[in-house]
Amino acid sequence: MNGAQVAVAALEREGVDFIFGYPGGTIMPLYDALFNHAVRHVLCRHEAAAAFAAGGYARSSGRVGVCCATSGPGATNLVTALLDAYMDSVPVVAVTGQVRTDLMGTDGFQEADVCAITQAITKRNFLVDDPNQIAATLAEAFALARSGRPGPVLVDIPTDVLKAQVTEGAAPAPPPLPAAVPRAPDEAVRAAVAQIRAAQRPVAIVGGGVRAGGVEAFRTFVALLGLPHASTLMALGAADPDDPHALGMLGMHGLKAANKAVQRADLVIALGMRFDDRVTGKPDRFARGAAVIHADIDATEFNKIIPADVILHGDLRDTLEALVAELVRSQVPRFDAWAREAQELGGPLPSDRVAEHVLSATDVLDRFFAAVPPEAIVTVDVGQHQMWAAQRAHPAHPRHFLSSSGLGAMGFGFPAAIGAQFANPGVPVYAVVGDGGFQMCLPELATLRRYGVPAKVLLIDNQNLGMVRQWQELFFSARYSATNLADNPDFAAIARAYGIEAFAVADPRAADATIAAFIAHAGPALLHAACHPTENVWPMIPAGMTVDDLMEARA
Amino acid sequence: MTCDLLLRDARSVARIINLAHRFNCRCTRIDASAVSGATTASFAFDGPAVALTRLRAQIDRILAYEAPAGARLPEGTP
Ligand SMILES: Cc1ncc(C[n+]2csc(CCOP(=O)(O)OP(=O)(O)O)c2C)c(N)n1
Repeated sequence: MNGAQVAVAALEREGVDFIFGYPGGTIMPLYDALFNHAVRHVLCRHEAAAAFAAGGYARSSGRVGVCCATSGPGATNLVTALLDAYMDSVPVVAVTGQVRTDLMGTDGFQEADVCAITQAITKRNFLVDDPNQIAATLAEAFALARSGRPGPVLVDIPTDVLKAQVTEGAAPAPPPLPAAVPRAPDEAVRAAVAQIRAAQRPVAIVGGGVRAGGVEAFRTFVALLGLPHASTLMALGAADPDDPHALGMLGMHGLKAANKAVQRADLVIALGMRFDDRVTGKPDRFARGAAVIHADIDATEFNKIIPADVILHGDLRDTLEALVAELVRSQVPRFDAWAREAQELGGPLPSDRVAEHVLSATDVLDRFFAAVPPEAIVTVDVGQHQMWAAQRAHPAHPRHFLSSSGLGAMGFGFPAAIGAQFANPGVPVYAVVGDGGFQMCLPELATLRRYGVPAKVLLIDNQNLGMVRQWQELFFSARYSATNLADNPDFAAIARAYGIEAFAVADPRAADATIAAFIAHAGPALLHAACHPTENVWPMIPAGMTVDDLMEARA
Repeated sequence: MTCDLLLRDARSVARIINLAHRFNCRCTRIDASAVSGATTASFAFDGPAVALTRLRAQIDRILAYEAPAGARLPEGTP
């Protein structure tokens, strides 16, 4: 066997069914080994899309997503999506071809020091210079990507190493030992329970850490206490959809009840979240006066932004189970009255819906989320449509709502939906995208077409880079520099040119029927919604401000 | 702050220096040498106390990621 065959066998041993990629010179031996192999290769039309698809696969399934690319430009095209996976703790393994060992360091054709380039945005990366090390290195890469706080790992293999015969190490690498998982000490759990018992107005904030198996434990924890709880963008779906105490997303475009309840809280219970600035605004005025319990698997998150009174370092599910056991043992009373009060701090979502004959993006999304089946997976791109969707979606599980959250990378939503569809055949998958972000990955329509994956795209076309336009309106004296997309192409015609069914709606009276036809369509499809150009996302807490500065409409 | 580390991957020295820079800390001493396949590295850093604490936490994370499940430092390393 050569190195490439050993690599593909190693992927198979890890349970990999799909690998998203794009071929080129140095990675050709791997493509040769993939030819007619049980590990199926999915040809995307750009390496960034391949890596986002791997991310969508991983985010929607919890399994490691895999992508591959050739050296130089192929490898550098992966970078944004690897950072996306790093920021949102998504297990992804990227395999890149590298120039021949004897060319490395000579500025060889398509040479890039991708290990140096990705050192700051991967958990770790490896340059494999010995074919006998390929199997063991890939085993280590997968173990690392999925263990502890998950994240991306890159394995760079020179083309001569892929071609070389493997003399030892073709056999499966010994299964990696389970990584040592930290466990919150009993005293810390008791201290947390004492804080909860002493609190009048506790609020839980659940973050992306819950995605790694903590959803049931989270639901049990909040249900036991009747606790009001807010969610970060990463954790939407963690709450039971019928939980009356769920306050929804908090942060810059979060729901009023969530932000106000956190601001009034005397105890914040932060669960697998990292106090991103889009959540806290101005940290020294965030949840002023509240004590903080912070649970996370990654010790670097403690006291980074918001000081913690009690630290619970461990896997979130274990921590929540330990908390529940201690709460039951010590019979801590429930907080239903406060939870109802917290819910009343909100109100209907503000919007600047426009004239009746013009389609409003928020109206389209209200109707869309009312119509999608509960088991659907929805991905979003980045911008206004993302925030409108996050405010309105009711995902059944965090793996049903996928967003490039920490990085906010446009061009994520559509390929992530393709990856999610490969990981979840038979489940309806929708990408909600803006006209800006969709144009960063239009050629993936060809990927949809080739594989016949039934993922669908809802395009909210406001003929603007809407979120930037909104900021220009509010904070840059309405000087609309480079955000107007009034010369957008005919998106439906583009979809049809790729052989994808296209629906279009511009008249609000036709919205329900068109959305229903789009959802009922059996294969891949695009719905082009031509929306009003200047609708804004409300509420909004301007960057670096607090809930006291919350805006609900244009001044 | 000083740290004496045993690294499995010599390139982590570069990562640690870059991190210190990013956290607004200054690297005032670096001594590194290779010992039978591993690297011993000794650093001294200056900077705001909060940044140094964060840097130390990140260094610990690098060490943890270097020695994931099943990984071992080469035979004979101290
Ligand atoms: C790759 C990338 N480039 C630039 C940005 C900055 N940015 C954030 S939102 C946005 C506008 C997005 O426009 P569109 O896709 O049309 O969505 P809308 O906001 O109109 O819903 C831009 C340019 C980004 N997040 N990602």
